[in-house]
Order: sequence, then C-alpha cells, then structure tokens
Amino acid sequence: MPASVASSHSSRPEDLIGRLSSAQTPYEGKLKALRDLKNQIIGNRTKKLAFLKLGAVPSVVAILASSAAALGGGREGREFHEAFLIQSAAAIGSFACGLDAGVKAVLDAGAFPILFTLISHPNEKVVDASARSLKMIYQSKVAPNYDFLQEKNMEFLLSLLNRENENVTGLGASIITHSCQTTVEQKVLSEAGVIKRLVGLLGGSLIQRDASLESLAAVIKDNPEVASRFIGPENGRELSVLIELMKDKCPRTRLLACMCLINIRNASMSSLQDSVIKNKLVLILLELLDDPGQVGDEAPFVLSNLISEKEDLHQLAFDTNVVEKLCENLDKGSFRPKRVEGIFLALADLCSKLECCRERVLNSKVLAFITESLAHDSAEVRGAACIFLKNVSRSVKSLSAGTFMKEEIMVPLVQLLGSSCTFEQVAALGAVSNVVVDFKADKSVFTQCGGVKQLVQLSKSIESTIRVNAVLALKNLTFLVNNRCKEEILLELSTPTLTSLISDPEASVQEQVLAFVRNLVDGTTNSIDYLFGEDALLLHSIGRQLRNTAKAEVQVQGMYILSNVASGNEHHKEAVMSILFGQGGNATESILVKFLQSSNSQLRTAAVWAVVNLTLPSSPGSCGRVTEFRNAGIVSQLKNMMNDPCLDVKLQTRTALRQLMTFGDAST
Amino acid sequence: MPVRMVESSSPSQDPGTTTGNTLPPPCTLLSVGQSFSGTQNVSSLQKDEAWRVNVRIQGCDLDRGYLCGTMEALNVPMADTPVVTFWEGEIVDTKNYTFYTGKWGATQDDDIKHWTKFPSFPPLLPQVEADGGKSLDLSSYPYIFMRWKEQHFVNVGTDCGLTIAGFYYVCFSCGDGSINGFYYDPNSSPFQKLELKSTNDGRSGFSFSTYELQ
Repeated sequence: MPASVASSHSSRPEDLIGRLSSAQTPYEGKLKALRDLKNQIIGNRTKKLAFLKLGAVPSVVAILASSAAALGGGREGREFHEAFLIQSAAAIGSFACGLDAGVKAVLDAGAFPILFTLISHPNEKVVDASARSLKMIYQSKVAPNYDFLQEKNMEFLLSLLNRENENVTGLGASIITHSCQTTVEQKVLSEAGVIKRLVGLLGGSLIQRDASLESLAAVIKDNPEVASRFIGPENGRELSVLIELMKDKCPRTRLLACMCLINIRNASMSSLQDSVIKNKLVLILLELLDDPGQVGDEAPFVLSNLISEKEDLHQLAFDTNVVEKLCENLDKGSFRPKRVEGIFLALADLCSKLECCRERVLNSKVLAFITESLAHDSAEVRGAACIFLKNVSRSVKSLSAGTFMKEEIMVPLVQLLGSSCTFEQVAALGAVSNVVVDFKADKSVFTQCGGVKQLVQLSKSIESTIRVNAVLALKNLTFLVNNRCKEEILLELSTPTLTSLISDPEASVQEQVLAFVRNLVDGTTNSIDYLFGEDALLLHSIGRQLRNTAKAEVQVQGMYILSNVASGNEHHKEAVMSILFGQGGNATESILVKFLQSSNSQLRTAAVWAVVNLTLPSSPGSCGRVTEFRNAGIVSQLKNMMNDPCLDVKLQTRTALRQLMTFGDAST
Repeated sequence: MPVRMVESSSPSQDPGTTTGNTLPPPCTLLSVGQSFSGTQNVSSLQKDEAWRVNVRIQGCDLDRGYLCGTMEALNVPMADTPVVTFWEGEIVDTKNYTFYTGKWGATQDDDIKHWTKFPSFPPLLPQVEADGGKSLDLSSYPYIFMRWKEQHFVNVGTDCGLTIAGFYYVCFSCGDGSINGFYYDPNSSPFQKLELKSTNDGRSGFSFSTYELQ
C-alpha cells in the first residue's frame, strides 16, 4: 500500500506555527499559513487555546511588527506587506475575541501600539483590520484603561470618532465603553463634545449605532449632571431617537437603546419616569430574554439595572409575568453561565421587596436549580444564586414553612462559606443569615452540615465585613433555638472568642455579637447561666463594653442582654444590679440613668424594661432593689419620662412606677 | 406622695397639615419572638367550650402594616396533637389597611359590629364612620387593631376536619401586651372570643429576642 506523502502545507498547529516563524518560509507560504491559522481559530475557543499554548501569538505579532516596519522603511513589496498586516491584524483580533487569555497574550506580545499606529495607515483594509482587532481587545476587561484626562489622548479619541470609517468610529466608541468609569471621566468626555458626536453616530451604520449606544450608556451611567445635559431642552430630539431605537428590528440595538434609556432614567429621577416608558422597557426586555444569543444573555442584567431597588417596577414586572419568564428560562437549562447569573440577579431584585414576587418564584421550580447553581463551576453563578437565595428567603412565611432549611440547599451553601473569594463568602453569608432564621427550636440540618463551624471560623476573619456578617448569621441562628443548639454554638465559639468579639474594634461587630448574646439568654431561664460560667467572665465583658462604648446601637443590644438576664432568678437580677450600679461604685454615675436619659428611644425602652424586670412585685429581692433605684435617682428620672414621646417608653415607665409604688412611697 | 397616672390615650385626628408619622408605634411586646397564651371560646348553643391557644410572633413589618406568626390550639377535640396554623396579620394603620376589611366576606357592618366589641374602639368610631378612619392619628394610641388571617395548617393536613376559613378582629394593648380578638366566619358561631396574655417562658420578667433579615 503506498504511503502518504507528507504535505508541505500541513494544517497541524505545530506545522503552521513553524511555517510562520521560519525565515525560510517564502512570503506566499507565510501568508497562506497566516490565513490558515486565522480561519482555524475564528469562533473556535478550543483551537484558540491550543494555538495560545503553542505560543502562536508572538509569531503573529512579530509578522505584524516586521511588516509595519518594512512599510515604514519604504522597502519594496508593499502589496505583500499590506496583506501580511491585514491577515496578522485579523488573526490577532480573533485571538482577542471573547477570550481574556488571548487578549493578555496579544498585549504581552506588544501588538497594542502597533495596531494603534496602523489606524492611520493609507490602506483602508489595513485600517479596518487594525480597528476591528483593537475593538476586540477593548471588549475585554483585561485591556488597559484609556486615559481620557490626557489632552493628547482626548484629541486622538475625537479624531477616531470623527473618521468616516465605521470600524474606526466603532473603535472610538468601544474605548469609551471600556474605559469610562469615573464621574470625572464622564464629565471630561461630555465637555469635550463626545456625547454630541456619539449622538451623531446613532444615525450611522449598524456598527456605529450599536457602539454609540453602548458608549452613551457608559458616559451617562449614575451621573445626573451628564444625564441632565443629555436630556436638556435642546436635546429632546436625541431622546426621541433613543426611544425610537427601542423598536429597531435588530435585537442588539433594542437592548442597547433600553440600556441607554435606563441609565438616563436611573441618573435623572425627573425624566423617563412615566408609566408608558416603564411599560415599554419592561415589555421589550421581556421579549429579549428569549433571544438565544448574547442579547438574551445580557437582557437579564439590563432588566436588573432597570428594576433594582424600585418597588413600583417590581410590581410592574410582576404584573407583566416577568417572574414566570425568568423562571421558564432557567427551566430550559443548558444556558451559558452568564445568562444563568443574570437570571438569578434579576430574580433576586424582584424578590427583594415584594412578597407576591417571592411567592410566585417559590411556586415555580426555581429552587430545584439552586442546589446545582450553588455548586456551579462559575463563581459568578454561585454568587448570584446566593444573592437570589438571600432575597427570596426574606419571606417570613416561607422561612416559617421550612422551605429553605433543607440538606440539598444547606450543604452546598455552607460549602461556599469556605470559599477563598470574599465576594462569594459575603454572598453566601447573606443567604445563610436569612435561611437560618427558620423559627424552629432545632436547627440541626444546619449544624450537622458544618454550618456553625464555618460561621465561627468566619467570625475570626481579619475582614470586618466578613466578621460582622458571620456574627449576624450566628445571631439569627440563635433566635428561638433550643438549649442543645445554643450549647453546640457556644462550644464551637468558645468563651475567649466571644469575649474578644464583644470588644471587637468595629462597633458593627460589637452590636451583632451583643444581639447574639441577647438571643442566647432568651428562652428558658437556665440559658441565662451561659453568662455566669468562669466567674461570669462574659457578663463582666458585656458590662465593660456597655460602660465604655458611646455607640447607641451597641448600648441598645447590651441593655437588652441585661434586661433579659434581669428576667431570670434573684441571682441573675442581683448580677444585673451590680453591672448597672457597680460593686461599691458611685450609684449616681449609673449607666442606667445615662441610658434612661438617652435621646435614642430604643435605648430608653431597653433600659425601662430592665427596671420593670428588676422591680416585679412578685420577686423577693425587688424591695431592696427599689431602695437602690430610689437612692440612685432612678425614680425621679422615671417620673420625668411619664410622658415620654415614645409610647412604648411611656407605657413601660408607668408600669415600672406602678411596681415601685407597691413598695411604698415612690416620691423620692 | 403617690403619683397620679395621667392617661392621654385618646386618638387625635390628623389635621392633614402635619407630615409626622401617624402609624401605630413600635411596641416591644408585639415584636418578633414574643409569645402569648390564653383561650378561644368556641361555645355553641349545644355546649360551652374553650380551646387553649398559644401564639408566637414571627415577623413584623410596621411599614407594610404586616405581622405574622403561628397559632397553636391545644385541646382541640377532633385532633390528637395540638393544631398549629400560620397566620398573617394586617395592622390597621390607615396607610396600608383601614378598619374596613373589604374582603373575606366581611361587610362594613360586620367590621363595625366586631370593632365596637373592643372597649378601646368607641373613641375612634365617629372618625371611622366619617372616612373609614383614614385621617386618624394612631401614633400615640396605646392599642393596636389588627386582622389576623390563618393561611395554612403547619402540622396537620387540610383534611383534619378543622377550618381556617375565617379571620380574627384583634385588639392589642401596648401597655400590658394583652390581646383580645373575635373570630369572624359567617359559617361558624359568631363572636368567638380570643383572649391572650403575654407569656415569658417561666421567667420572672420579660425577655426579648431579635433577628434581622438581610
């Protein structure tokens, strides 16, 4: 059987790269190899990665550089060199398209400045290829930021936007979309006349229109000043153009027009607030959710931007069945991670305020996707699933029904608490905090999957955001829980950690840990004894914190602990008295007087409850405590509070005074 | 010298010129985690009967006039175990909800008949008859009026032979945490009275827990 003859034009990646890099390869062969490479990698992520690994990018960039240099030097073979420039720029663009690793390789190989130089090349095809390539690079987050504040750069950008070539103007717009992030940059661009030019491009080709819409959205985003300039009286026409583009036949244009209008709407509370435009935006985005491509992937993010924190829009979206549509989309499955992330974020927004939305979501099959989404390969999907779970579990009705406290949800959720990424940990902590409320006395599903261990670990984090959220979750976990569960938490947390959290440098952590202790000592009377171990170390730490802190929110939680302890037996009540008045200390400096005089009504309420609990006529030691109160001026203070502006304080002050009177004259 | 307790508990009419809060005030005895126990009189013409009842508040959102929790009926004749239901409450705050129910089969006449059974309601009656009580300022009134509607059974099936078709007209006293209510269901005995008192898990005083949804 005859053997096959090795072809000199093999398309194996190694051979292609060999031909590209070899000085021996004739011009024609090199050009063909470049074309072959470009054709192989277009739209093929696997091939791109394979060529990247083999180091193809530096070879291609070397060809681009040498051809650019050869043309600059005026050497012969202009046609060949231009063909090389076009093919190598196109291949570079392909490597950069949709692949951050490709962009990084292209930048590392030094292609960026060469491509920028070629934008001024006399051959339009070279310009097209270079501009397209740069646009691909600017679509990636890893592309370098363009410094608009440098005059030369701004001039260059305006020169790009003023060119006839649609790829060059598109590049200008892409640079803005990528790099315009701060209000200063938005202002500088607006003042340089960029908005006017971008609006002009809305009447251009499809490429120009879409690129312009996207950059307009970036320049206006969260900037009321720029937004109001855009919608100023002389610019009514521009707004109409945008509204008209919402009906364009191209889905991407419709999506970008919506994005632009939403950014204007969010930045300027006075415009585009009418129900007609709100309805239109919701309906168009609803329809775009069905797009199978990139538009459908991005539509939930745009929807989320529209409805975020706006209850009227949640209601509108609910009325137009957006919840069902999003849930159906998840149900279809097999989407790209980006779309799943967007759907969860949009659902999270919808569930943030309205119970009707939460109910509808929970009636769909969405929760069935939570388990796999919490364990998804993509960190963004996992984070979005957590945010959704956090918001949907704001439903007290569903928490009470035990909808979330299930192994299939808790196991992957608790695993995320151990993530190395702060964003993911905070998102998971948010969900855990709500889900653990549950209202059951026994929360063993959570403890058995290692939840307490993880929370305790996170309560020791060096990042205060993590610490505060972890302790908040422990507080919610301890709400109405039985003593067995409380003991499990305490065992894991340990007295030294709890003591150190009570005097944490962050007031927000102190507040949460004191609220945790408040729950710990609620319930049966013997739970108060948790504070009395090791010579009442914890109780004394709390007392110290109460005396030292100036933060009312910390004082409120600390005072509720004392009030709860004061609802225990005589031993507990006397311990509270010694915290309030100090052992042998100066009674007139009692923190109780200070708190009863506080301008914070919650603090006054907590303090009055402590007095009520310490003066119950049925308690044997009340009489002695009443004497102490009288001596410390508490009785006169209470009399001043009989018409307290806070009804709760007023009513319980009267209860306290009634009780005091049962022990005799309360006139002192 | 003994102190005379001054009662300034009459509701004022919101003149419409102030922008202050006119909603019922927050009350610690009606906060999450608080529990109550007492009885519901279910007497009929045939016999006198009262079920022991425990209530626990699970959620409270004054801005939305929302309250919810569980209700446990202890000696229900046809049930082997205590029957627990989940209920949701509408707080009459004149913003989210008025004294007129407008649903659950209750006419305005039924509403007035039930509300007037609470001794703390008559001072409000003229304004309620004038405009449904919309202009009342309830921010310093020491009673909170609510409707509690049981939504579902927690520990038994719907085939348990019991009904939760009706709802309760409820009056809560902010001073002592006592709750009075009347069950309304056109198909059940009228004016079944619910009487609950704040409980404290065997403690010598009041204890308060907390949670916070993120």
